[in-house]
Amino acid sequence: MKMSSYKLVFLIPFIISSHLFSQTTGNRTASVTLPVVTLMDIEPAGAIAMNFIAPTEAGRPIVSPATNTSKWINYTSAIAAGGLSRKITASVSPVIPGIDIKIQAAAATGSGGGTLGTPSAQVTLNTTSQTIISGIGGSFTGNGANNGHRLTISLSPNTYSNLSARTNTAVVIVYTITE
Amino acid sequence: MKKDYIICRICLVKATFMLFLLSFCTMKAQRTLTVGGTNWAVSIPSITEAGSNYTGTYESAANQILLTASIPLLLSSGKVSVHYEGNPTWNPNLILQAKRTGDGTTLCLLCTITGGTAYQTVTLTDIELFRITAIAALASYTNIPIQLQLSGVSVTIPAATYNSRLVFTISAL
Repeated sequence: MKMSSYKLVFLIPFIISSHLFSQTTGNRTASVTLPVVTLMDIEPAGAIAMNFIAPTEAGRPIVSPATNTSKWINYTSAIAAGGLSRKITASVSPVIPGIDIKIQAAAATGSGGGTLGTPSAQVTLNTTSQTIISGIGGSFTGNGANNGHRLTISLSPNTYSNLSARTNTAVVIVYTITE
Repeated sequence: MKKDYIICRICLVKATFMLFLLSFCTMKAQRTLTVGGTNWAVSIPSITEAGSNYTGTYESAANQILLTASIPLLLSSGKVSVHYEGNPTWNPNLILQAKRTGDGTTLCLLCTITGGTAYQTVTLTDIELFRITAIAALASYTNIPIQLQLSGVSVTIPAATYNSRLVFTISAL
């Protein structure tokens, strides 16, 4: 029994169609919303004490306190595609006459990831906010001390004629994360 | 006598041809898959501590998606595959995985459903999730539960709403 060619021509589309239409599909969706996140804090919490020491020999200057490196900046930053990067600024209040309060952030270390910020050079703080870290993208530093950017804070006299004796002067350094 | 032979031969050819046609018509649209259950809107807890990232991995309900598959007697086996499509946008760092958490229900004693009980990463191209095999029977499984998992969630991914369509397909092995 031979099958003529025109019958084969009919059969082939049937074979193809049966192959195609025997498969069926269906779908469900999965969705997730990732919000913009901007969080920053200083770790560990609490104040630091930095005291000048009076000279014991006439004619010598006051002795500046040791630099403090106990504080770390932690942040979490999530930005939209094409969004502006973030920066962290610092300011001080009040300014103590005759005293420079200087700060510098180190490069980020620890358990973080993403586009972490770039530290600026050391800045002398005043009441105007100055950038200490910039270029923060979508990133996180890890939480707690030894994660993020270590801060080096130092105090030094600038103009002796402006110095005056004082005790327990609370100085607040304000850190702000912003675009 | 010769005329009868020719008529008989024509009838035989036609009968064969019809048989082919009927076979293919029967096969057509017989392997079917129905996708039930609900869409999955992943709930991500907010980050409350500076420096932290998302925990990264989230699971749907064990029966988030319910598949009903049937394979006709003549075909005897089939596989269910899955792939995803951006709907319209999905980030490739967000990893979707799927697994079968049960067999569903069937009346077929000689049918088996195998594979897919461990998470498999869903990609843009079809991956086989599980197989159904029947021996001389119509294999029909209803409410096969599928669980989804999302991983790779991070603040390093641009903030946005991402949607994907999980497409399940039943086909021949």
